[in-house]
Amino acid sequence: MIAIAAESLSKTYTTGLVRKQRINALIDFSLHVEAGQIFGLLGPNGAGKTTFIKTLLSLVHPTSGKVHVLETRLPNTRIRSRIGYLPENHRFPGYLTGEQVLLYFGQLSGVGRSDVKSRITPLLELVGMSQWRRMKVRRYSKGMMQRIGLAQALINDPEVIFLDEPTDGVDPVGRKEIRDILQNLKRQGKTIFLNSHLLSEVELISDRVAILDKGRLLTTGTVDELTAGGYQYQIGIEGTLADTVRNEASAMVMNIQVNGNTLSAELKTTAELNRLIDLLRRNNIPITSIIKKRDTLEDSFINLIKREVAS
Amino acid sequence: MKILVLILYTFRELLSRATLVVLAGISTLVIALTMLSISMSESSEGVTLQMFGNPISPPLPADAVGEFVRTSQVGLSKGLFIGIIFLGVFATAGIVPATLRKGTIDLYLSKPLGRWELLLGKCLGAIAVMFVNVLYFIGAIWLTYGVKVGVWNSGFLFSSFSITFVFACLYSLIAFLAVLSRGSPIPIIGAFLYLFVIGGLLESREQVLYLISENTLYRSLIDGLYYVMPQISAMQAGITNQIMETSINWKPFVQSILSAGLFFGVGVAVLSRRDF
Ligand SMILES: Nc1ncnc2c1ncn2[C@@H]1O[C@H](COP(=O)(O)OP(=O)(O)OP(=O)(O)O)[C@@H](O)[C@H]1O
Ligand SMILES: [Mg+2]
Repeated sequence: MIAIAAESLSKTYTTGLVRKQRINALIDFSLHVEAGQIFGLLGPNGAGKTTFIKTLLSLVHPTSGKVHVLETRLPNTRIRSRIGYLPENHRFPGYLTGEQVLLYFGQLSGVGRSDVKSRITPLLELVGMSQWRRMKVRRYSKGMMQRIGLAQALINDPEVIFLDEPTDGVDPVGRKEIRDILQNLKRQGKTIFLNSHLLSEVELISDRVAILDKGRLLTTGTVDELTAGGYQYQIGIEGTLADTVRNEASAMVMNIQVNGNTLSAELKTTAELNRLIDLLRRNNIPITSIIKKRDTLEDSFINLIKREVAS
Repeated sequence: MKILVLILYTFRELLSRATLVVLAGISTLVIALTMLSISMSESSEGVTLQMFGNPISPPLPADAVGEFVRTSQVGLSKGLFIGIIFLGVFATAGIVPATLRKGTIDLYLSKPLGRWELLLGKCLGAIAVMFVNVLYFIGAIWLTYGVKVGVWNSGFLFSSFSITFVFACLYSLIAFLAVLSRGSPIPIIGAFLYLFVIGGLLESREQVLYLISENTLYRSLIDGLYYVMPQISAMQAGITNQIMETSINWKPFVQSILSAGLFFGVGVAVLSRRDF
């Protein structure tokens, strides 16, 4: 099943009463997300990631194009009882405590009062907020807000979950916990759609990712597909590299960098690697280590955005 | 169902604000004073009402006591009206803007909740809180006069509904301005401006506003505005009649409920078109 589908979606914001300004936040954007996947949407600030999630919740009205969630054409009020959402910079009514927030928004998502009540304790447990359940949310820290927000997004046992920067402001241990929660939800068959800047994190959990820039979809695929091709080798040497050797190496392979005792190079083939090793050995430079590193999502992301800026 | 949840939590939100506590406190003070001080002494000349043992009425024949009580109830109701309007507007004007705040509205609207439903629930919540306060005040005073003086004025008891109704009509204007401005200052200023300046000018438009120009378009615009806005002072006169148990002119009430429906409808339309 296709859980989320956007067809030639465009959104132009018009702001200002007198001097009208138009911002094309999404331009002819099409995207499909299979049910049961963790999908990561990446992009620089202002790319349109939040706008996309908001159109899927009918918070923002698309200028043109079609959107479906759970095979239902939007806008549709009732479908939202099967959706969970953690907005970026969300703000709960400050006069409520953590558990009251869950009770309130749980009931608003269409779950009966007694069902909500029975879900509160395990959910607070899950997000590690049990000890602060009776504290007013206005006194919560950023990370606590984020955790209670995640619990709120799960209170109606949704089939599709939208998370806008879910680990923003959460400490490293908490981020790992959140990743585990998401993996677990995936195992239960939920579809998770997340926006994030933390590429290393997205890389760890996403089945598929899409990269968005200035409202346009640049690419989409699995993490492997997006990072395929490039390998980085780091060669450790003893002593320093003489300038002549260095120039010769630079002539031989592209993108060579020397950093103290380490020589990093981006190599296409193992033949290139061997030629580089031969060169070093010929000049009697002792090699202490060779490390092969796959390109990270961050590397391909930065390359892609750079190419986009260049073109 | 979800509307009930919204009403309930709006109640809670208001209880966390000091303004409402002040309103309830003042009500309690007046109730307590009335309960403790009102008494009645009978003599050969008639019945005398007393406050702290001092007569507040001349000796009245038995059939004039009701009239005297009703008149004092009108006075109390006018006092309550001012209290409700002043403190009530301050206490509740922030409800809709707080709901529309960035980061909060996203949470509400991601629920299976229509935008009209959200606005209606919030408005009804604010109105319900006022109703409880009005009923508390009127009910207690009504009971006091009933028990201590023997005058059970049902018109006074029912005026708690009409006072709340007037507040509800005013609140539709407040909510509308809140949706437009997304803050509470403009609704508060708008409400008071209407209550104390514009409402009066429109009411006496034939003596005042008509003098500005004889242009028929101008005059029909002024007339139109008069009929679109809630008829606060005309309804207040109706409430006085209700308490005095004389005949009531319902026209301003009907006109005001249409006006409230209009403001609410336009408010919903504006809200529905907005991107958050
Ligand atoms: N309500 C709005 N009115 C007008 N313009 C808006 C509105 N919301 C977003 N924008 C504009 O749309 C563009 C995309 O914004 P969006 O919030 O979707 O970006 P984003 O990818 O989520 O960025 P970030 O990573 O910083 O969260 C930006 O240029 C932003 O200024
Ligand atoms: Mg964003």
